[in-house]
Amino acid sequence: MLFKIAWRNIWRNRTRSLVVISAVAVGLFAGMFMMAFFQGAINQEIDSMVETQLSHIQFHNPAFNDDKEVNDTIVNGRAIINRLKKNPNVKAVSARLITTGMISSSSTASGVEIHGIIPDDEKSVSSISKDVIEGAYFTSGKKNEIVIGEKLAGKLGVKLHNKIVLTFQSKTGDLTAGSFRIGGIFKSRNSSFDEMMVFTRFDDLAVILGTSGEMHEIAVVLKDGQKTNAVAAGLKKQYPLLLVQTWIELSPQMALLSGIMDQMMYIIIGIILLALMFGIINTMLMAVLERQREFGMLMAIGMNKPRVFLMIVLESVMLTCAGIPAGILFTIVTVGSLAKHGIDLSAFSQALSQYGFSNFIYPVLKQSMFVPVSLMTAFTAVISAIYPAIKALRFKPAEAIQKI
Amino acid sequence: MGNIIESHHLSKTYNPDTIPVHAVNHVDLVVEEGEFTALVGPSGSGKTTLLNLIGGLDYPTAGQVKIEGVDITKMSENRLIDFRLKNIGFVFQAYNLIPVLTASENVEFVMLLQKTAKGEREKRAKELLIEVGLKDKLNKRPSELSGGQQQRVAVARALASKPRFILADEPTANLDSVSTENLLEIMAKLNKEDNMTFIFSTHDQRVIDKARRVVTLVDGKIVADTKK
Repeated sequence: MLFKIAWRNIWRNRTRSLVVISAVAVGLFAGMFMMAFFQGAINQEIDSMVETQLSHIQFHNPAFNDDKEVNDTIVNGRAIINRLKKNPNVKAVSARLITTGMISSSSTASGVEIHGIIPDDEKSVSSISKDVIEGAYFTSGKKNEIVIGEKLAGKLGVKLHNKIVLTFQSKTGDLTAGSFRIGGIFKSRNSSFDEMMVFTRFDDLAVILGTSGEMHEIAVVLKDGQKTNAVAAGLKKQYPLLLVQTWIELSPQMALLSGIMDQMMYIIIGIILLALMFGIINTMLMAVLERQREFGMLMAIGMNKPRVFLMIVLESVMLTCAGIPAGILFTIVTVGSLAKHGIDLSAFSQALSQYGFSNFIYPVLKQSMFVPVSLMTAFTAVISAIYPAIKALRFKPAEAIQKI
Repeated sequence: MGNIIESHHLSKTYNPDTIPVHAVNHVDLVVEEGEFTALVGPSGSGKTTLLNLIGGLDYPTAGQVKIEGVDITKMSENRLIDFRLKNIGFVFQAYNLIPVLTASENVEFVMLLQKTAKGEREKRAKELLIEVGLKDKLNKRPSELSGGQQQRVAVARALASKPRFILADEPTANLDSVSTENLLEIMAKLNKEDNMTFIFSTHDQRVIDKARRVVTLVDGKIVADTKK
């Protein structure tokens, strides 16, 4: 009957209760929407990094990561690629030559990372071919073709089909240079990437570097990205002399960001609930003070203090928890719709692209968040009830009964 | 018949350190089982305070209250709540029913606190409400009942816990004459047929006329004690 009394008491002041329930629902929606928004943004960023740069797994000469020396190539790279292509978990493999150097136009120069790629293989491993907005992705068949980012083109003051010069260190340690013609200009989500990366054919770069058939990097894309760690563990055993790294190991800051996002979001929801707590305390305090005579009567006829306390806690929990399903439902409907159509943030595209974020964010709602968020809300309700309940327990029956 | 309530030198003083107000002043009162006693006196004479002390709703400044020989003034608040639940029925001036419960649920509530089984609670609540003439109002909430009907529910609730006695603080103060007459008849009948002890404070001459003992208080002291 205590549940019945508590539930009916909530509806004695319908408007006041509905305001609290709405506040809880909107607060939860705000918190969960933020979680979904940032989770979506980070997932997209991770996907983007995996697609444009990292792939799921990379192979390097262990010494290459220290200074990116031209000489630190993978031995027997071709054989390894052939074996990887036969691995049932592997979707695509691509060999890369990587060096750093200067890119010079007639007016200026800039530091860049030069990737020598096999265009057909790279298509299956990265999304650069899809990001080309001018010209073409190595389709002319001409030698010494280069694809550069839109931002870099702007910085260098060059256009499609213009010539540029790449200067870098060859395998022999000599400074060497090559003239390339711009065959394509790409624009990815990440403007820093567009400014720093240039792509040439593997063979063209190999000739100038003097690396012949050697390679610096083997990029691997798996059929199922969720198996990255398991597959990488197998490959590490298989190739103990090579450095085999997952995207998480290659970009630990991204993995860390993804990992701490949940914790950050729970903190944000905690702050929202803390603010809500004062509203709930206020409502419960008003309800208790308004019913002083009733509490006096209840204690007079024999309702003991633990029961009075429990009744107030129940009222607070029921009042607060009534907002949980409303908040979750509203979040599911809203985020469900936005997950399909995306949130258009093109007004902030310049700022977003600097951090590699897309103009469209597709929020991702984790259903696993519903239970902890609901428990946090219920806990808030219990905490909110303590002060009003203590207040009620301090009433003296003889005095409280006389209250008007 | 044995003594059910005894007060010895019972006093209650408000503001003892500033301007002392002696609401109850050295009252010696003995109430026997089956009495139908009215506490009368002008406003501020200490009727309600004396009832509160006898009912264990308040602690005296001095003196003792013994219920069937048990000194309740030495009990902790929690023990007093339990003692009231098992031994004392209350009827208040302003009815004081639980507004969100029906008449039947209000009566059941006290039995719920006593941990009476559901079936027995429902049966007894129905019997009691029939006894006070509310057979067709079992499922009505207090807001759907008249003042007289609400006070009859309060009497049924007071009886529900099978108390040793019932304390009623000005039970007819908010009732019209017909409701007052009905309520008095019910209380008199319960007193006569079930030997239920009633002590009520009142200003109402009709209630005083029905009482078999009238205790008159002035300035917290008993100035007259008349048995009819």
